[in-house]
Amino acid sequence: MSDPVSDPVREREAPFFIGWATIPEGLRWFLGGIAIGLVVLLAGLSYLTAATQDDPGDGAFMGRADAVGLLQAAPYPILHVTQSDSFAPGTALMLTGNGKRGAQPQADAFDGQLVAVSGARISRGDIIALQLRGGENGISAAPEQTGASLPQPRDLGRWRITGEICDGKCYSGAMRPGRGLAHKACANLCLIGGIPPVFVATDKIDGTEFFMLADQDGGPVTEHVLNHVATLVEIEGSVERHGAMAVFRIDPATLRLAQ
Amino acid sequence: MSDRYVPVQWNPNKWLYDAVLIACVAAYILIYLNLGNPAADVTRPADGAIVRMRAFGTCAFFMLTAILCIGPLARLDRRFLPLLYNRRHFGVITAVVAVTHSTYVLNWYFAFSPTPRLEALLGANTSYGQLLGFPFEAFGVFALIVLAILAATSHDFWLNFLTPPVWKRLHLMIYPAYAAVVAHVVLGYLQDTKNPAFALVFGAAALSVAGLHLAAHLKDGAARRAKGAWIPVARPQDISDSRARIVKMPDGRRAAVFRDGARIGAVSNACAHQNGPLGEGRVIDGCITCPWHGFQYRLEDGCSPPPFTEKVPTYDLRLQDGVIEIAAEANAPGTPVTPLDVPEASDV
Repeated sequence: MSDPVSDPVREREAPFFIGWATIPEGLRWFLGGIAIGLVVLLAGLSYLTAATQDDPGDGAFMGRADAVGLLQAAPYPILHVTQSDSFAPGTALMLTGNGKRGAQPQADAFDGQLVAVSGARISRGDIIALQLRGGENGISAAPEQTGASLPQPRDLGRWRITGEICDGKCYSGAMRPGRGLAHKACANLCLIGGIPPVFVATDKIDGTEFFMLADQDGGPVTEHVLNHVATLVEIEGSVERHGAMAVFRIDPATLRLAQ
Repeated sequence: MSDRYVPVQWNPNKWLYDAVLIACVAAYILIYLNLGNPAADVTRPADGAIVRMRAFGTCAFFMLTAILCIGPLARLDRRFLPLLYNRRHFGVITAVVAVTHSTYVLNWYFAFSPTPRLEALLGANTSYGQLLGFPFEAFGVFALIVLAILAATSHDFWLNFLTPPVWKRLHLMIYPAYAAVVAHVVLGYLQDTKNPAFALVFGAAALSVAGLHLAAHLKDGAARRAKGAWIPVARPQDISDSRARIVKMPDGRRAAVFRDGARIGAVSNACAHQNGPLGEGRVIDGCITCPWHGFQYRLEDGCSPPPFTEKVPTYDLRLQDGVIEIAAEANAPGTPVTPLDVPEASDV
């Protein structure tokens, strides 16, 4: 004979639910318990999941700021501040455009010149970015100052550094969190849009853990790093100081996942 | 059962079911945003849009997990069968929560760019050749498309238009969708987060789905497939009144042999509505009643009572040496078969 799939005695006793009929007495407490239990369970899971989120860091937009300084267009736009109420002279600002756009189109015409900039300050620790306002409101030629010139690069030697490649704007605080694998596509989109890639090292070199990335010739390196954004990698290259900004001129062929 | 289509055939049980679901979603989202998030140990809170996308994303995952647990739970313990009754609404609400999650993602991570959002979603990260940094968004997109299709085709119109077997196969896509959600979370948030709490909860949830399905499968597997033209089922008195004995047929299908007092009849175990397990139902007012949605069929011909038009296959039965035997071949849906008359069975 065929194997019974269920127990006939229990079948006879079990209440039978029909959706369009009244809930059987024997099931009401059970189903009520399930309903309350489900709400309580989800409430508990919600609290646990939310309360254990990682710290996204202290980066944030810090309000409007203006500065005058010398503009360096390569590898990505940097302003070396000479005069400002918001920044100390000598501060290096990483310039960005609005949203996920770089400042290159606004900055290229002023390479090496003294300019006045205006925008939203974004900062996280030692890294400071300025999101430029549109057009001439964001960047314009400033009156010439005698003796003002771009800082000469200071070679800090060749290094193999471990760290994470981030987009400079989100990492600075435009987004919180602005790093990590969950943010990788957003970071790539920023980099493709012209935002400078920065290298956040696990250890400090010459007192800094942030490096603007460049290729070996000192030019943009974005297309070579996209597949390695947001992961812990090792890269070889030479480190230079451009005033207060550390620039890591990398050899993309040496990029590999960190052990 | 219906002889015409209406958007939703509301009844008190459906109202209650949906009210509980909405209470679950509201409790989850409100507690996440207003209690859990402020309690997180952070220097500065995460962006509001990111917190909301996390809230809706994790909520959708837990809801989907619950949906997938209902089926095996109902097979292991029939008291869970009422949860199946309105599971389609559960699915539709989950799809809405998932769409809300994706809307926050699109309007935050993939906005503010000269690249169109959908193009950015699919094109910003193309590291498909590596596990670390894999574009986990692709798994989320797949799962979302499946959830949207299943929600859109959840109505009985599509069930009838596609036919129950095709509809059921289509809706089995929920399993690849769940697998994609798991991959989406594992390759994205889980690789990113340093706190192990979510990883533990997530793992437990996913393992619950797998474990319950395995347990239900093992329970189902206890029934052996029968052989021969006539298959012995049971003695009439061994079948509880108004209940059925389920038989695994030589072709792999299942038949349900019902006893209604002294009458014994057999039909396919698959309900014409959603292939629900008729054999786990009960005879009410002379009609076999499906435990999933209450669809009914007459014992003598497998037809729904007028004005309804659903039909299921019937089986010939015979009594051999006091044992009910069922024919291996099914009759066409709605074929009349005179039920066995076994007066002594009703005395038990």
